[in-house]
Amino acid sequence: MGGFRARTLCATIVVAGGLVLSLRGQTGDDSRLVIQEHLGLPGIDEGLSQELSHTPSSAETRKRVAALQSLLQDRVGPTGTHYRAGRVIVRFRDESAMVDRRAAVRAASGTGEIADRPSYADFDVVRIDVNEDAEAAASVLRQRPEVQYAQVAHRVHTMMVPNDPLYLTQQWNMPLINIEKAWDIQPQAGSAITVAVIDTGMAYANATITATLPAFRDENGILYPALGKVTIPYSAASQLVSATGASRIVAPHDFVNETSTPFDFDGHGTHVSGTIGQLTNDGIGTAGVAFNVKLMPVKVLASEWDLLFAGFTNTSNTGGSDDDVARGIRYAADNGAKILNMSLGSEGPPNCATNPNQADCSPVIEAAMRYAVGKGCFIVVAGGNGFEDNVPPYGTNPTSIVAEIASRIPGAVSVAAIDRAKAHAYYSSSGSYIELSAPGGSERGFGSDGFIRQQTFDFNFTDTFLSSPAQFVAPRFDVFAYVGYIGTSMAAPHVAGVAAMLMQQGVTDPAVIEQILENTAVDLGTPGRDNTFGFGLVDARAALRGLGLAK
Amino acid sequence: MKTTVLLLIGLALAAPAAAQDPPSLAIRPFVMATEQSFAAIDTFGAVFGKTYFPFFGGGVQVVVHDRFFAELTASRFRQTGERAYRSGGQVFKLGIPLTATITPFEITGGYRFHLGRMERVRPYVAAGFGSYSYQETSTFADAGDNVDTRHSGLVVNGGAEFRLQRWVSLAADVQYSHVPGILGQGGISQQAGETDLGGVAARFKLVIGR
Repeated sequence: MGGFRARTLCATIVVAGGLVLSLRGQTGDDSRLVIQEHLGLPGIDEGLSQELSHTPSSAETRKRVAALQSLLQDRVGPTGTHYRAGRVIVRFRDESAMVDRRAAVRAASGTGEIADRPSYADFDVVRIDVNEDAEAAASVLRQRPEVQYAQVAHRVHTMMVPNDPLYLTQQWNMPLINIEKAWDIQPQAGSAITVAVIDTGMAYANATITATLPAFRDENGILYPALGKVTIPYSAASQLVSATGASRIVAPHDFVNETSTPFDFDGHGTHVSGTIGQLTNDGIGTAGVAFNVKLMPVKVLASEWDLLFAGFTNTSNTGGSDDDVARGIRYAADNGAKILNMSLGSEGPPNCATNPNQADCSPVIEAAMRYAVGKGCFIVVAGGNGFEDNVPPYGTNPTSIVAEIASRIPGAVSVAAIDRAKAHAYYSSSGSYIELSAPGGSERGFGSDGFIRQQTFDFNFTDTFLSSPAQFVAPRFDVFAYVGYIGTSMAAPHVAGVAAMLMQQGVTDPAVIEQILENTAVDLGTPGRDNTFGFGLVDARAALRGLGLAK
Repeated sequence: MKTTVLLLIGLALAAPAAAQDPPSLAIRPFVMATEQSFAAIDTFGAVFGKTYFPFFGGGVQVVVHDRFFAELTASRFRQTGERAYRSGGQVFKLGIPLTATITPFEITGGYRFHLGRMERVRPYVAAGFGSYSYQETSTFADAGDNVDTRHSGLVVNGGAEFRLQRWVSLAADVQYSHVPGILGQGGISQQAGETDLGGVAARFKLVIGR
């Protein structure tokens, strides 16, 4: 505890220094968020999290989800899905003239304008008034001959059920995928491969953040006070980026805030990155699957703090929808990533395969995924956490749209979650689109022993918006713990790690990687492929060992 | 082994040796080098990078009246390649060493033709069966991962023997073998749908005896 105080004092001094520098350098700058990268102390590692109060149905978890929904100020479509106001994603046909495109936009919206095409996009964004019905505009555009597809910007969310549990000393998930023997085969564990983590960002560098925090109301209308200008310490997760290992971070990018500093203000992306590539064999903390891979943080999902830091000046500009995901995918493919992990998704109709240009499908993500696979990337997508959820009008266990797209692309896989007993995890979506299974964890029957643990932020220091207004303080992103999460978000990175090792072993064709992972999976449930487990539990050792002549 | 070789040579030398007439019964040892092109071209190509390999061995022939003969051969193939994946014509080698050993024991019976005045040449045809031992080992193998099995197969061959000296002949023939039951049960051979461990071999034998 004394060490903690000393570190806090040091952190305060450095942060204060950073603030002075920040103020000197930015006199008169009204920017709401300033990130001074590499100015800050290393993070504080608290070790095992003793927090046990958060379960998927806990009050804290419900409040976290509600708070995000409240802050996002999204529109809700007729089918109940959330999308960003003020924009429609449109892919015009190549042969259509600009004058015809503008005519199509005018027919759909009185205020519509084709914005400058964003980077890493083969589509356009039509800006409309935030009070207009984007779904109606998209529907009109879909009927136009100039338009290949049009869709609203669905809000994409992570595929995990967060927990802040006690971290135990064992990672049951790693032996379950037969990883130890895979490490024997490939001790270098993916060192030549870059894995893009398309997520909430990553705690990959130390920094000092200066932000202006406005007042806001939570989902119950309770007013939280403005905190004004605050300085927030931010540190790299020591088990992702060691003092000597900063070079493992490749081409970071943030499509939520359009910066090159995709700092994770949620914890999800850092946790997912840990399962893929947590530093291993260093006698500290937990292990990662492909613990020597290079990591590319690509931030496409907005967290509560992204929205608060943005100050609600224009919520439609705060990313986190499927156009950001599509751009993130293309960015990763164009910048050297070979494995793309997407622990995210949204819900929609089951027939996007036959009619992608309809409400709640994501043709923009499908086009980006096909582009990336065409460039040699293997994509892993979380299968969805909606098995017990009722999402009108799609009912219980709705189709997870991005996972369904993955199932139709050779070279992309959707991953269901299993629990510690290799049984179906209660939340893991099922359907014909499920292709593989991996440990996602479950507290049912196992309590905190059933979580997937990696190093990420201690939520007690980050999720201060869960406190009462009187206790609301600025967050700090420099205190880490080994935190338990569950979800198909946690299952997917196991497969991404194995795929990275397989690619390093010499298999470079994404479609062949998928074929191998499916052929070598340990069959679970009904013999053969089934809708719960797909082809079965990924087996790292079997995949890496390959085939002989007769066996 | 040494005793057996000496015995075989002794038997060969002890065969009747009337001036130019062949003996009514000759027992002739030989050494053999074979270049076999395997039928499982996708399987062998994926693991070893090529599909034809040498076998080395030897055996003994029993020739009756210079026309009918029975032959017993033993040979061995041993090659190290890499475990791999094969898909759509692409091969992905994984850098994990794999060693395959094939040890065939073959028994054939055949007929030697006489070509009038070409006394030094004896074309022949033969057919028979073999017992094929197959072992496949590789690094990082767990118990049960390696293969050690034996199956039988059929062979037919045809060629000609050229007498170089009174006691020494050189035979060359082409042999076709069909060996089911070993490949096609798993591994790349199953993926490729190849079930035959046999193939076509060019065999060269140095025969001692008349």
